Amino acid sequence: MSDSTPNPKGAPPKLRYPTNRINGQDLKNMTEASLTWLRTNQQTVNALNVFPVPDGDTGTNMVLTMQAAWNEIANSAEKHAGKMAHAIAQGALMGARGNSGVILSQLWRGFARAMDNHETLDATTLVRAFVMARDTAYKGVVRPVEGTILTVAKDAAAAAEEAGAQTQSLFEVFNQIVPAADRSVQRTPDLLPVLKQAGVVDSGGKGLYFILEGVLRHVLGLPIDTPLATVLPLSAVDLENSVESIEPGQDYEVVVDFRPAKPLDLELFYANLESMGTSIQVGEGEGMYRMHIHVPTEKRYEPIDYIMGLGTITKVAIENLMAQMEEIEQKSAQPKLQLAAIEPGQIGVVAVAPGPGLARVFASLGVAAIIEGGQTMNPSTQEIIKAFENLPTENIIILPNNKNIILAAQQAREMTVKNVHIVPSRTVPQGLSAMMRLAPDGDAAEVAADMISALGDVETGEITIATRTVEIDGVSVTEGQVIGLHNGKLVIAASTLEDGVLQLLQHAHAGHFELITFFYGVEIGKNEANRIIDVVRAAYPDQEIEVQEGGQPHYHFIISIE
Amino acid sequence: MSEEKKSIGSITIAPRAIATIAFHAVRQSYGVVGLTSKNLVSGLAQAIVKDPTHGVQVRYDGDSISIDLYIIIEYGTRVKSVANSVSNTVKFNVEKTLGMPVKAVNVHVQGLRVSDVD
Repeated sequence: MSDSTPNPKGAPPKLRYPTNRINGQDLKNMTEASLTWLRTNQQTVNALNVFPVPDGDTGTNMVLTMQAAWNEIANSAEKHAGKMAHAIAQGALMGARGNSGVILSQLWRGFARAMDNHETLDATTLVRAFVMARDTAYKGVVRPVEGTILTVAKDAAAAAEEAGAQTQSLFEVFNQIVPAADRSVQRTPDLLPVLKQAGVVDSGGKGLYFILEGVLRHVLGLPIDTPLATVLPLSAVDLENSVESIEPGQDYEVVVDFRPAKPLDLELFYANLESMGTSIQVGEGEGMYRMHIHVPTEKRYEPIDYIMGLGTITKVAIENLMAQMEEIEQKSAQPKLQLAAIEPGQIGVVAVAPGPGLARVFASLGVAAIIEGGQTMNPSTQEIIKAFENLPTENIIILPNNKNIILAAQQAREMTVKNVHIVPSRTVPQGLSAMMRLAPDGDAAEVAADMISALGDVETGEITIATRTVEIDGVSVTEGQVIGLHNGKLVIAASTLEDGVLQLLQHAHAGHFELITFFYGVEIGKNEANRIIDVVRAAYPDQEIEVQEGGQPHYHFIISIE
Repeated sequence: MSEEKKSIGSITIAPRAIATIAFHAVRQSYGVVGLTSKNLVSGLAQAIVKDPTHGVQVRYDGDSISIDLYIIIEYGTRVKSVANSVSNTVKFNVEKTLGMPVKAVNVHVQGLRVSDVD
């Protein structure tokens, strides 16, 4: 990002702080700026994380560590710079998260130690602080891996020493450290092959760079809470999905491919585009740029005229977004969820529904609030409480509709003053069966007991695909096979959905029941669902068979047999 | 002794080989300044051992791999975070190199090294 490093030519930059020495409060403000800028770029750092373990959490860990450091000093009125630095280091140590967080806390520790007994921070001390930060950090590992945050700290310290030999200005020293850190980050793939293979720079090093750059931007009065204008690879300019973020008044989408006559000043380019419209994206590939913007009708030619002045335009596309929007709206003309209105004193039922179709079914049966969730996306206790705390009644019944959510529902009951009953439905059909017994004006405890007794009225079948090869309850399953669960227990494995459904129904003795209801999930189309159910109809001519869109993920079918 | 059947024969990996992978991963882990043999708790002077079976114990019960690490951590770092990072790094590196799952990595912090006093 060297092109974006503030390096104003001509007139000396306006600075927020004196250049000879700063005190503890200045240091505190700069720390906050570091944290803010790091947080702004957190996802960028996360996305780079491939070493030592590619778990994509470096940015988060560094933010949490810096946040802990900031929490330690947020309310401090300390003027003594050395004491402030020690408080920051202490906070960073206590809150150090992950590998990069621990290293960051060691950097702070060394930094603070250099400032022992220094009431203010001057250029000489700053240089020493960077050197000691490096030394302390390097002591913490037997075999330092180069091409990481350690390398960036080392190069930053070297730049500080070099700058310190020439100037006594804090700003000048820092103004040399930041670009040096940037160059160091850009070099990390040359030192660490795993980075080169992945085509990234080191995440921790980049994080440290943002921390340093945040201070510099703050000192110069540049914004730190919005990400910089960045250029995506051309392939990443996502024109397909951009239509979702249309703002009122921005009626036209303009896309211009062009080749600039001279290197593009991105900051300026973005600033000029921002005066015309929104949803700006710029992509670059082999000297070609693609600009994407949403503009109001009267400005639809402005971006083209503007870019014409910058270089050669090769292609222009203008589209009316409003016309596109109408199409999309027509497609998504789904019935709206009509939840039951509850009077004070009545019973309000809160149901967890794993899909929009199931939510509508629950709503049609008189549920007052729906919580989205289910298998692999269990709602938290907080989400459950939030769902019912605004209902205008004291009497609440919760239908978890999944065995893994019952516990969270019980915790929600403990944490509220409302009169909460839990009907421990383990499956969606059980929940639906219980809803049949709902009497909104009845006594909550009695109604709940009645609903619980209804849980056994229904058999539940679930059809999904095995995600791994396993043997449970004597059924051996190969990854990718269709599996059927009867009342939550794995009972059959089959090679096709059709086979799986039939086997499962047979296992559940569906022939002895009257009504079979199928809720088909997002992974299966309506036509495919109907085709399979026609087969079922032929096999079970004496049973009434219903089909509903469930919209649940993972499960191709949830089947209610009663 | 960890085995994986292949059509043309079997592949056997000795615990010592696994220990070597783990050892190198530990030495590159930030915050760890040494490994120590399980029975040398008092002899912190002998902390840094070159033999990759010291400080690393690998067990294979015919089903899964468990690794025990006996380490010394730099004083002044957050021990919990360092220990977590070490176990993640070791698990990742062993699994990546072997292509077999590691069931557990137990980290035993046997001591702290004080290199500076704040």
